[in-house]
Amino acid sequence: MTLLEFSRGPMLHFALFVFVFAVLWRLISTFMLGWRKRKSEWRTTSGSSAVKGAIAVGNRSWPHPEFLERTAFGEAVGYGYHIGLFAIILLGAPHVIFWKNLFGISATWWPTIPSGIIHVISVVTIFLLLIATIRRYMHPPLRRISNFDDWFTLVILFGLMISGVMAVFGLGGRYEIILAVHIISFNVLLIWFPFSKLMHAFYILPARFFIGYTHAKKGAST
Amino acid sequence: MSIDNRKERPTIGQIMDENGVGRRRFLKYCAGITALMAMPPGMTAAFAQQLRAARRPTIIYMPFQECTGCLESLTRSFAPSLESLMFETISLDYNHTLQAAAGDAAEEARHEAMEEAWGEYILICDGSIPTKMDGIYGTSAGHSFTDQLHEAAEGAAAIVAVGVCASFGGVGAAYPNPTGAVGVSEIIKDKPIINVPGCPPIPEVMTGTLVSFLASGVPDLDNNLRPKAFFGNTIHDRCYRRRFYDRGLFAESFDDEGARNGWCLYKLGCRGPTTYNACATIKWNGGTSWPVEAGHGCLGCSEPEFWDQGGFYEPVTSKLFNDTGQIAAGAAAGVAVGAAAAVAANRRKKKLSGTADKETSS
Amino acid sequence: MSTATQNLSGAPAAEERLSPSEREERAMSEFAHHFGAYTATNLESCIHCGMCADACHFYIATEDPKYTPILKAEPFKQAYRRESGAFAPFYKLLGLKKKVTVDELEEWQELLFDSCSQCGRCSLICPMGIEVAEMIEIGRRGMAAAGLAPKALMDRARHQAETGQPEESEKPYPEVLREIGKEHDLEVKLDKDKADILVCLPRTDLDQNPESVAAMIKIFDRLGADYTFRSDALIAENYGYYAGSRGLQKRITSRITDAAKKLGASLVIVPECGHAYTALRWQAAEILGERLPFRVRHVTEFLAEQLEAGKLKLSKVNGDTFAFHDPCQLVRKGGIMDAPRQLMDAMDVDLREMHNKKGFSFCCGGGGGVNDLESAKDLRNRAQTMKLREIDDTGAKRFLTSCSDCRVSFNEAGENQDWNKKTESLIELVATQIKE
Repeated sequence: MTLLEFSRGPMLHFALFVFVFAVLWRLISTFMLGWRKRKSEWRTTSGSSAVKGAIAVGNRSWPHPEFLERTAFGEAVGYGYHIGLFAIILLGAPHVIFWKNLFGISATWWPTIPSGIIHVISVVTIFLLLIATIRRYMHPPLRRISNFDDWFTLVILFGLMISGVMAVFGLGGRYEIILAVHIISFNVLLIWFPFSKLMHAFYILPARFFIGYTHAKKGAST
Repeated sequence: MSIDNRKERPTIGQIMDENGVGRRRFLKYCAGITALMAMPPGMTAAFAQQLRAARRPTIIYMPFQECTGCLESLTRSFAPSLESLMFETISLDYNHTLQAAAGDAAEEARHEAMEEAWGEYILICDGSIPTKMDGIYGTSAGHSFTDQLHEAAEGAAAIVAVGVCASFGGVGAAYPNPTGAVGVSEIIKDKPIINVPGCPPIPEVMTGTLVSFLASGVPDLDNNLRPKAFFGNTIHDRCYRRRFYDRGLFAESFDDEGARNGWCLYKLGCRGPTTYNACATIKWNGGTSWPVEAGHGCLGCSEPEFWDQGGFYEPVTSKLFNDTGQIAAGAAAGVAVGAAAAVAANRRKKKLSGTADKETSS
Repeated sequence: MSTATQNLSGAPAAEERLSPSEREERAMSEFAHHFGAYTATNLESCIHCGMCADACHFYIATEDPKYTPILKAEPFKQAYRRESGAFAPFYKLLGLKKKVTVDELEEWQELLFDSCSQCGRCSLICPMGIEVAEMIEIGRRGMAAAGLAPKALMDRARHQAETGQPEESEKPYPEVLREIGKEHDLEVKLDKDKADILVCLPRTDLDQNPESVAAMIKIFDRLGADYTFRSDALIAENYGYYAGSRGLQKRITSRITDAAKKLGASLVIVPECGHAYTALRWQAAEILGERLPFRVRHVTEFLAEQLEAGKLKLSKVNGDTFAFHDPCQLVRKGGIMDAPRQLMDAMDVDLREMHNKKGFSFCCGGGGGVNDLESAKDLRNRAQTMKLREIDDTGAKRFLTSCSDCRVSFNEAGENQDWNKKTESLIELVATQIKE
């Protein structure tokens, strides 16, 4: 079995298994920890609070202008690499094919972005990720609260991004080895995902909803 | 067969002259070869000089578990040309398919040729070598192929394994590989080995490899022992349909709009992305066409485990996850373990916070 | 009750004699009390983006990374990861998350008490929607349980739970109240047996701003409300909440809720005090575990209701320009967004808004008990400097707020920095503008 076959065969299977298993483990155990029954006299009904909660889910994506003066740079970089990553992962032709094959679907409507543009986005995204990393190191509060989770996740992301770019541009060695490294780093990401901060992808919706909901009940700012 | 001492053998230059091949034509050929091998243009003259000076080599061509397809490719694929002439100039001292002699006479001729050029001849191997049960699946003249290979390899200056079978085991080694077939490099470890895989290999690649060996010894090889000059890029990298892949335009079946428009054949199982060969640039039949141009995806015939890469018509990445049961099991287990973890955590919470209200009385 | 007298006589409280392991156990048990799906979602969500620092006045004023809000929640987070999180057994087994030790808790005392006024601005900035302030509050509760809350707060909380007032005063507060009434020629309705409205007062006003107390009496008189003050439930502040002690907070809250129940009151008025509002409006029912049989309203909220009902008539103030500070607990966390502005509108106040207003207002620097901590003085001064500058930037001549604790804070800052403004009470302004 070659490295490539291993990476997209047994290792991918294992990684997907771990991903699904541990993500559900973590989510289910979080949401089954029990809910407080609150007894205060609320300003709003549960229904309209839920609506406010749903609005908060969207609203928190856009920073309040009061904070922008201090956070604009960090927000821009964060937004930049998130958009870059999503564009590459969801709209890059090789990835689209990968997902379609992975899930055994033939979604003809699934659009792709021309490779040339994806290449530019990839390089820009790596650059933004680099800025984010440097910022994490240089910005005092960020550095103070960063832990292994943050740094290791960045390492995996860099591995993933750089091997992807190398595979596309045919740099640094043989295509199938680089591709294998790319897929292996994806597998590592899948395995690491449920145990790491990457879980924010799942927690972001309920967390935002809860704060929107509970604050709406008090009429507090969201 | 010549019984001349090797040193008295004519150089390739001399043979060319005898056949009335002008210097200009010879240089043109060399320029072609060096271009194929991606050498810088300035190297052509030096290459030509080296090649002219090289003595006509002795070649022992040993067939094992093979189909003769490689030899067919090698001998009759091109019109009379310098390549064929080149091929004729080499002294093919033993090849039991081509030679007139048979039986003991043939074996004798081989031994004679080997002895004469001991340590200097080029051994070309064709076909895989069965190793199970002491190699009895393949014998010739009472000797197993493994023994014959060992014997022939001992006196060889270098070994060229032509075809995917001699290189990596090929169809003989396909699952479940009943004969324990392997490629030459699995058996011979102490000689320079050049793999020229393919099913069959491109003729120009075979002659090009031989010629470059004559001129300058063992060329740069990749980790599958293939000359980088011919096997350095994937089919996909050099494919004229690559731009459709890049734009996400794929043929979904062999008779759809995409196929007629010449879109990428990736989804129809093309192995281009993971196959290293020169088909996309050198093409076949003297540069006439090649499989992808003819509308069919690459099969990946120059790669190890060629036959065991899944169905020819399944995309390279297909069957990544064909076991939905496994993921469903993972999901179910995750839910169960998560619920159990929550129950345990709640129990722990009760135990830990049992004393929390003490503080009230303080 | 014997321990109570001991405490009052200055003997060390029970928790001062706790052994380190007992402290750890108590902190953990308090943390465990707060484990649940809501807190878990909050703790699991943090992506360490550090943005909460950019919302915190203590960080902005000092640029010291240790004041990053989410870092203050670390002990609770650590306890959660080790004991309650999805992978808690592994964290425990592999020693990835250590037990929260007394040393760590002591190290965190400054972060949880001195450098957090529980203003909740961090909860507003968090892109993940983490209620950071609440996580820090739970940290405080763990500290209090472990007997590690600052003595200044804990002693006052205990004193208040026992006697009804946080500290000994020269004269008992009911007497102070009567005197203020006498001085202003107002009838003080104190200790009526039945009343529709129970009104509480901030002890800082009783001590320092008698005008404000008089304003409250005047307003309720003019409205002709059926109200009373109660000697046993006079003080609005809840030092149990400041200290983070659930037990003491509950006892102090009960003083007011019991009195209100006894009165048969349908409404309890929280005076100009932000934390009192949070404690009574949003935490009383939770901490008592029951629905309250009366409504709780902040005085500005109540007055805005009266205004709308046409019962309150206000005259216009002259042409001065005003700035208004939105107290965090009332506005951002309490939801009283419009009431103060409705009142100001009714008085035709020429309001010059600050850059950070309403829900985004910066804290006065002294909320959450920070005003009571001597050790926090430097830090709060630095945060206050920033706030004063923002007030000055409005160009307004006069400065109003609706929280006595904020006033204390601004007065202190003003003195320290030779500030040219006096912090005025919105209620006092209402009282002067009220029509017959």
